[in-house]
Amino acid sequence: MATYDWIFDTLGLRGWCDGSGGEDGGGSAPMSMADLMNQAGNAPERTIWDTPFPSMDALNDACASFPQSRELTRGLERGFLDIKDALSYVLDPLTQPLSWALSNALSLFQSVPWWIMIPLLALIVLVISRSWKLMAFVAGSFALLAFIDYYDYAMQTLAIIFVCAFICVLLGVPIGIAMSRSDKLQAGMIPVLDMLQTLPPFVYLIPLIFLFSVTEPKLYGIAIILYAIVPVIRLTNLGIRLVDKEVIEAADAFGMTKRQKLYGVQIPLALPNIMAGVNQTIMMSLAMVVIASLVSAPGLGVLVLRGIRNLELGVGLISGLGIVLLAVILDRSTKAALARVNAAQKH
Amino acid sequence: MADPKISIRNLYKIFGEDPKGALTHAKAGMHKAELLDQHRHVLGLRDINVDMAPGEITVIMGLSGSGKSTLIRHLNRLIDPTDGEVWVDGDNIMTYSEAELRKVRRKKMSMVFQKFALLPHRTVLENAATPMIVDGEKRSAWEKEATKWLDRVGLEGQGPQYPHQLSGGMQQRVGIARALTSNSDIMLMDEAFSALDPLIRTDMQDLLLELQRELQKTVVFITHDLDEALKLADHLVILKDGEVVQQGEPQHILVNPNDPYIVDFISDINRARVLRARTVMTETADAPADAAGSVDENATLEDVIAQAGGDTDKTYRVTRDGQTVGTLPMTDVVRALVPTAASEDGMRKAS
Repeated sequence: MATYDWIFDTLGLRGWCDGSGGEDGGGSAPMSMADLMNQAGNAPERTIWDTPFPSMDALNDACASFPQSRELTRGLERGFLDIKDALSYVLDPLTQPLSWALSNALSLFQSVPWWIMIPLLALIVLVISRSWKLMAFVAGSFALLAFIDYYDYAMQTLAIIFVCAFICVLLGVPIGIAMSRSDKLQAGMIPVLDMLQTLPPFVYLIPLIFLFSVTEPKLYGIAIILYAIVPVIRLTNLGIRLVDKEVIEAADAFGMTKRQKLYGVQIPLALPNIMAGVNQTIMMSLAMVVIASLVSAPGLGVLVLRGIRNLELGVGLISGLGIVLLAVILDRSTKAALARVNAAQKH
Repeated sequence: MADPKISIRNLYKIFGEDPKGALTHAKAGMHKAELLDQHRHVLGLRDINVDMAPGEITVIMGLSGSGKSTLIRHLNRLIDPTDGEVWVDGDNIMTYSEAELRKVRRKKMSMVFQKFALLPHRTVLENAATPMIVDGEKRSAWEKEATKWLDRVGLEGQGPQYPHQLSGGMQQRVGIARALTSNSDIMLMDEAFSALDPLIRTDMQDLLLELQRELQKTVVFITHDLDEALKLADHLVILKDGEVVQQGEPQHILVNPNDPYIVDFISDINRARVLRARTVMTETADAPADAAGSVDENATLEDVIAQAGGDTDKTYRVTRDGQTVGTLPMTDVVRALVPTAASEDGMRKAS
């Protein structure tokens, strides 16, 4: 018999074990590999070295009524499926604007002709960075992507990132400010943020696939936002908490209201940190947009996926390099803006 | 004395988990060390009673940890007391609502900070105009006022600069201009000059005295430097472990220290520079016939010695507004330079 029979015997649970499970002889649970081996007749001798950990499966061997571990995952799945309808009833309309924003941005970025789009992007970079060199680099990079016919894919990726990063900032900065004001909220939020940041990106996708239709843009939009919003929240919170206590005291001493203090002192002084958070958020949405191509996010990620699926080495490599190029463009532009903010308020 | 501008009544501040509980012990006569030892609460301030007259500079002096910075923050309620009252212009500000308090901070009191606490992202002009900007005034109004005060503290043409482009001394001038722009009667200065180089510090002290002669504000000045305290104070309050050890006219404290702590303090100073003729002179209305000349009653002994050329045989006539009020033999001057006998038995000797 199984190793852990004695547990149920000493606890006097043998009756419970056999009561429900005994009827169909050996339990309703599907057979494990070990059961099959046992049935084959040559059950191996159990030595102390083979003692299994008292896991759910091992205990199930001893007592058929004890659930197997697969019951746990299946239970979770059933639970999720049960609340799924109610959940999507609430979430669907709430997230609908995200779908609109994404599909509109995608069509906008693709419908504007290249001879307007590339100069426009270069101009934006020039305005935020005040650097001709960076502007030339950006214009050159997009021209190169267009030359190898990857322009459309790059624009799709860019559109998704713009929308998602914008929403991240829109939601993340207020959350960060609220966290900086309440130690309790901070204590509650930090584990959530830690989890969002360490959960493997693919894991976000699984429940989202159940909740939303794969054809809808918001599916990947939510995945990207959940993954990328963390740094902007963290750094807004940190930035505001790091504002010089003396300056805050001075603001109080001159009779500033809470609002005046927030907009006139705390946010401006936390801006370098907030900008660093925005930079990180953009970088992380770029990372996620590739993974999100698994759930129909358009853009360069699709080409990477094609490279893997069809073993098209060239396509995979070139689109990968295209993503690197986009990353460099976005990073340099936001860092240049950050450097300008920093220079304006050195201590 | 005229009605005090600010009046602190029975002020207690205790830091810890249960300040109210510890308050009863403090009121029963427990001091800082015992309270920390037996009840794990830090006594910030204990039974403070100070009156500050309008138009005077009140200096609160003490070493670090004596509670002086805590005390000044009670005056505009950046810190709330555990018990006690602060009366400003006849109103107990402890009863004020948040909105009333903001009004007091905007209109009645301004503050100058040890580390300047300027807004780094605003220009010098905008920093100097902070009180008026906070109060919602138009740019045309605050620009004129702030420029006026920046010019007054010696920062002509520095308006468009950013604080980090200025030296420490200049930054604190901006801090003073900012306090003046609010046109408040009361100026709170929290170790305002402690972070500056000695030479610049002297400059700033002179600037403050000059402004004070002109503006007659009620200034509360915190310092740990006795020389600075004696130079500026009309009324000197000495704090130790959260309690007032002695307060009064500085010259009086200097010649009649009532606590070994103060004796220790004053044994280090340059007495020739701080003692004044009126403190040392013998009062008489009759001018001595053999007077070598006359000195003002507020002349320091240093001035008198310089005037005598070091000669100890001379005797001077001491005058107030041209009237003779006393005589001052040089031998008395020289004798006054030796610290009081009490300081020989001061705490430092014992330890």
